[in-house]
Amino acid sequence: MDLSVVVPIFNELENVEPLYYSIRAELRKLPISYEIIFVDDGSDDGTREKIREMRKTAPDLRLIALKRNFGQTEAMAAGFDNASGRYIITMDGDLQNDPSDIPVLLEKIREGYDVVSGWRKDRKDTFLRTVFSRMANFIISLTTGIKLHDHGCTIKVYEAACIKSLSAYGEMHRFFPVLASMTGARVTEIPVKHRPRTYGASKYGFDRVYKVFMDIFSINLIIRFSSTPLKGFVFLSIPFLLLTFCFCILTLLAWTYDWTYGKVLFFMIASVLNVIAAMHLVMLGILGEVVVRNSDLSHTRLPEITRKSIPIFSDSNE
Amino acid sequence: MNNIRRMKYSIVFLLEKENRDFFQYVENVYRTFSARWDVEVLIIANGKGGFLRNLLKGDHFYPPNIKAFDMSRRAHQAVCLNSVIGECSGEFIVVCGSYQQITISSFEKLLLSVDDDDDIVSVWRQDRFDPVFYRMQSDLFNMLVRRITGTSMHDLSCNVRIFRRPVLEKIELYGNMYQYLPVFAVRKGFKSKEVKCEHFKDHGEPREARAGFYRMSSYVGRMIDIFTIYLNTSFTKKPLRLFSYIGLLFFLTGICIFGFIFFQKLFMDQLLGNRPSFILAIVSMIIGIQIVGTGLLGEIIIFTLGRKKREYVIEEII
Repeated sequence: MDLSVVVPIFNELENVEPLYYSIRAELRKLPISYEIIFVDDGSDDGTREKIREMRKTAPDLRLIALKRNFGQTEAMAAGFDNASGRYIITMDGDLQNDPSDIPVLLEKIREGYDVVSGWRKDRKDTFLRTVFSRMANFIISLTTGIKLHDHGCTIKVYEAACIKSLSAYGEMHRFFPVLASMTGARVTEIPVKHRPRTYGASKYGFDRVYKVFMDIFSINLIIRFSSTPLKGFVFLSIPFLLLTFCFCILTLLAWTYDWTYGKVLFFMIASVLNVIAAMHLVMLGILGEVVVRNSDLSHTRLPEITRKSIPIFSDSNE
Repeated sequence: MNNIRRMKYSIVFLLEKENRDFFQYVENVYRTFSARWDVEVLIIANGKGGFLRNLLKGDHFYPPNIKAFDMSRRAHQAVCLNSVIGECSGEFIVVCGSYQQITISSFEKLLLSVDDDDDIVSVWRQDRFDPVFYRMQSDLFNMLVRRITGTSMHDLSCNVRIFRRPVLEKIELYGNMYQYLPVFAVRKGFKSKEVKCEHFKDHGEPREARAGFYRMSSYVGRMIDIFTIYLNTSFTKKPLRLFSYIGLLFFLTGICIFGFIFFQKLFMDQLLGNRPSFILAIVSMIIGIQIVGTGLLGEIIIFTLGRKKREYVIEEII
C-alpha cells in the first residue's frame, strides 16, 4: 500500500459523503494504491451509520470506530496504528482542507522529506483566531527551531515509519513536525488551499489559548531536556542560586556593619528560602534523570528513517 | 419465560467480613441464577483469620461447581478480582460482597435487565434502610463523583455489580479503584447501566446501632479518592496544565504582593527590608515555581514512559 489518508471525524454527518468522494476523485487520478481511513471519534449524530452505509459501495474506505470521544490526537493515533500505507496523510473532517492538495504534498515528500506540512496561506477564519494562531506559530517556530508558518494545519503528509515511531499522545497533533524533527526527520511545508467552514462554529476561547501556550512550554522542555532532565532543571534553578548568593552577601554585610537585627534576620531567611527553591528544582531534575534512565530510552534513539539515503535531487534542485 | 439465554455467568463472592448467613446468601443467589443459566460460583476470602475455613466447617449447601480462594493477606478488591479473572469462564462476571445488600427478587430483576450491549450493570438501591444521616452522606459523595467525572452513577457503595468480561480484562485494575470501576469504565467508553433495586435489610452488619458518622479516616480516604479520580480523568496525559494553573496562581500572587510593597517603597517611603510581606511574596513566588517544576517533571515522565500507552479504545474496525 502506498498511501493511507487518515481523517478523524466527530459529528460530521453532512460532510462525510462529499469528503470521501472528493478524496477518492483526487486519489484515483494517481497511479498509487491507497486506503481512506475514517476514524469516528465517538460521534453521536449518526455519522458512524452513514459511514457504514457508504462502505457498502466503497471498498477503499475503512472505518475505525472509537468507543467514545477521545479527542483529535487520539483519533489520529488510532488511524496511524492501523494504517498500512508507506505515506500517511492527515486531514480535517470538516471539509476545510482541499483534497486537491494531496498530489502536491505527495510530490513534495518524494523529494526526500519525512514530514510535509500544509500552510494555509490564505486563511478563511475569524480575525481573532488568525491573530492568535499567527502568534502561536511564531513562538513555536522561534523556540523550537522548526520554522513553519502553520503548525496547526491538519493537512500533513508523513513518512509512515516516522509518524508511527512518534507515538502521538495528549493533544499533541500541533507538534507532530516538532516531535518528528527530534528524531532527525526532515520537515518542510508548502502552501495549501483553505476553505471556510460550511457549518458549525469552532471554539477558540481563552482556555484554548492558555492550553496551547502551556503545550508550547512543555514541548520546548521535551525537545531540549527529555534525555537530560537534570540539565533542564539546573538551568531553571540558576536564578534562585544567584538570588541566594546575593542574599548571602547582604546577610554578611548586615552582620559585619551592624545593621539592624531585623535586616540580618530578613536577609538570612530570604537566602534560605532561595536555597530551598533551588534545591527542590535540582532534586526534581535528579528524579527526572531516574525516570529517563529507567525508561526504554526509545525517545533518544533515532529511528530507521534518518538512515535512509537522501535522493540526490532534493538538494540540487533548491 | 421466552428470553432464556444459555450463557454462563461467573458469580464472584468477595468475602471480606465474617457473616453467619453467608452460605445462605450464596445459596439464594445461586438458585436464582441457576434456574435460568449455567453458572459457576467463586468465593474469594479476602482477609486475615481464615474465616472462610471456619465457615466451611459447618454444614452448608454448596453449589456444584464452586471454587474458593483464600488471599494470603488482605488485598484491595481490585487485586482480588484481578487474581481470579483467569479462573472465571463466564461471559458475564457478577461480583457480590460478603453480605446481602439487595433482595433476591432484585437479583432476578437485575439479571433480566442485562442486555447484549451492556458492559456494566450496577445497582442503585432504592428506599435504603440505613439511617437518614448515612444516606445523606452517601448521596453527597455520589453527587460529588457525578459532578467531577460527568458520569451518572448513583450508588457507588453497593457491592453488587455485573461486568462483561472485557471490562475487567481491558482495564488495568489496581489499588482501591474497584469502587469507582464503573466511572473508569465509562471513561474508557464502556456502556454502563444502573438498575433500581430494593435494599435488603441486612443482618450481617447492624449499622443502625452506631451514631451518625463514619470513621474519620474514611472521610479523608474518600476525599483523596475523589481527587484521584479528578486527576485521572482530566490531567494524566497533560500534567503541566493542572500544575501550571496552580503554580501560576501562586507566582502571580507573589508578584502582586511584591509590586504593591515595591510601590510603597518608591512612593510612600516605606522600607522594603523589614516588611514581613516581602518574605510572603518571595515564598509565594517560589512555591509557584516549584509547582510548575513538578508539572514539567510530570511532562517528562509522560513523554518518556507514558507516551506509548494508548488512551483510545476501538469499538470496531471495518
